[in-house]
Amino acid sequence: MSICLKLMNKMSYRLMCLSALFTFNAIAQDDYSAEPLKIHGFVAQGAIDVDGSNFVNNDGELSFKLTEIGLNTSYQISDDFRFAAQAVFLNGGNRYNEGIRVDYFLMDWNAYSSEQWQANLFVGRIKNTHWLHSSTRDIPFARPSIILPQGAYFDGFRDIAVGGDGAALKLTYNNDEYGEFDFNFSRGKSPINRDDAEVILSKLAQGNIEHGLDAQASFYWRPVFSQWKFGLTLLDSEFNYKSEILDFFVDGRFVFQFYTMNALYEGEQWEFTTELLQTRFKTEGFYVPQFGQDNLGQGSSFQLRYKIDQKLTLISRYDIFYTDKDDKNGRKLESRSNGLVPNYFGYQHDAMLGFSYDFADDFRVNAEYHWVEGAARLNPIVLPNSLVNNKERWDMWAVQFMYWF
Amino acid sequence: MLFGSPTIYAVDVITNITADTASVTTTQLRRIYSMRQVKWANGVPITIFVLSSTHTTHQKFCKETLHLFPYQLDRIWNKLTFSGMGIAPTVVKTEEELIKAVKSTTGAIGYIENIDEVSDVNLLKIDE
Repeated sequence: MSICLKLMNKMSYRLMCLSALFTFNAIAQDDYSAEPLKIHGFVAQGAIDVDGSNFVNNDGELSFKLTEIGLNTSYQISDDFRFAAQAVFLNGGNRYNEGIRVDYFLMDWNAYSSEQWQANLFVGRIKNTHWLHSSTRDIPFARPSIILPQGAYFDGFRDIAVGGDGAALKLTYNNDEYGEFDFNFSRGKSPINRDDAEVILSKLAQGNIEHGLDAQASFYWRPVFSQWKFGLTLLDSEFNYKSEILDFFVDGRFVFQFYTMNALYEGEQWEFTTELLQTRFKTEGFYVPQFGQDNLGQGSSFQLRYKIDQKLTLISRYDIFYTDKDDKNGRKLESRSNGLVPNYFGYQHDAMLGFSYDFADDFRVNAEYHWVEGAARLNPIVLPNSLVNNKERWDMWAVQFMYWF
Repeated sequence: MLFGSPTIYAVDVITNITADTASVTTTQLRRIYSMRQVKWANGVPITIFVLSSTHTTHQKFCKETLHLFPYQLDRIWNKLTFSGMGIAPTVVKTEEELIKAVKSTTGAIGYIENIDEVSDVNLLKIDE
């Protein structure tokens, strides 16, 4: 009975969200002038089936935990000041916590504007716009596939990586000879609640993890009239774990640094994307007081898209990730853990094929199949679950329908 | 260059009279439509009106005038809209609505095709 009531509550909640979205859409469609208030949103629901890992669930059954709903607003207060906010509801099973998040809630000050230069300062909760897909990672119709390459866009880090409370500076420069240049810099910290800590650290962690003020920067360049765009991104962050009296873990400190280089080619039918990344993951304490580890991880992804016509697009991608570039086969990891953590937790490679089909300007279906080798990007990463993830090779398929306005 | 150097455009670019400009370059138009220039030279904020990305006129304008593909603009606008970093142009359904919106909105810019006479707007000359 209580299960039925819970299900009904969840259904009513989703129906309320949907009806609110359609109401806002009706308002938004009447907006034909330079109204200061803009409202946009999306709703997506899908099915995902994973065979051989706990990526979405522990039982391997078909799951409908592929729900993404979002609503945002922008209000132009004056020529130079604007307010913007977005809330999303996500349900991705083990990938991240089910629930509502405030993705951004910010004031935008257009500090300088000319034909060549733009300078904007954002203050509040800022979304991460540094990486190629970071700002659209949970916007179903604006990302290339349902599941993004986990080397760079690991879902377990979603709530930490998606943005934080702080400030960001965006500078754009246009040169008729050399092209378009973007420079972004931000500082912020992400609130991490108890549920987030469980996803990343495991249910055994009783203490609190706090995100220190991180620093991020990115630089993008598109040569004049070019179909290519190139980018560089940098992230430096630190996390501190404060254990409880009765806790499986002790106090600890984590340093996470992340550097990427990317290139994007946008042709009429062909599109090519690549991202190369290096991570530094330093751990002090946490497992036992004397513990110390400093790993350099590496990864890369290569993606091709082909637009058959205006409605149908094919996609293929290969994503490679190593937790430790000096232990690519994971043998040292297995040896250090006395065999408790199998070697395949040291890497994760994913080959993907899929397509998207547009039924209308605002209604699409995405479908994809993944062949995965390794378990380095399965939650919780600090205490790998080798009982459930007992296969080196696993695969999954997913289908998701999406509507936006 | 992506599509060569067309000098005759099938699609005309119009602005509200407050934009106070008689001509633009292709690179300036790209800057405006990719939201990298948000004010006219006289300081008036630019408001952009577009047709849907599957509309023939929009596709012609993107490819022949801006030398961009419609999906590239969609991508830029979606990123701005759903990251909070900016706003996307306002989409209208028909060219008649677009003309009406440009006429009545300070600093507005839009495009039209196959419309012989249009009054009370600036028809811009496009320089390469």
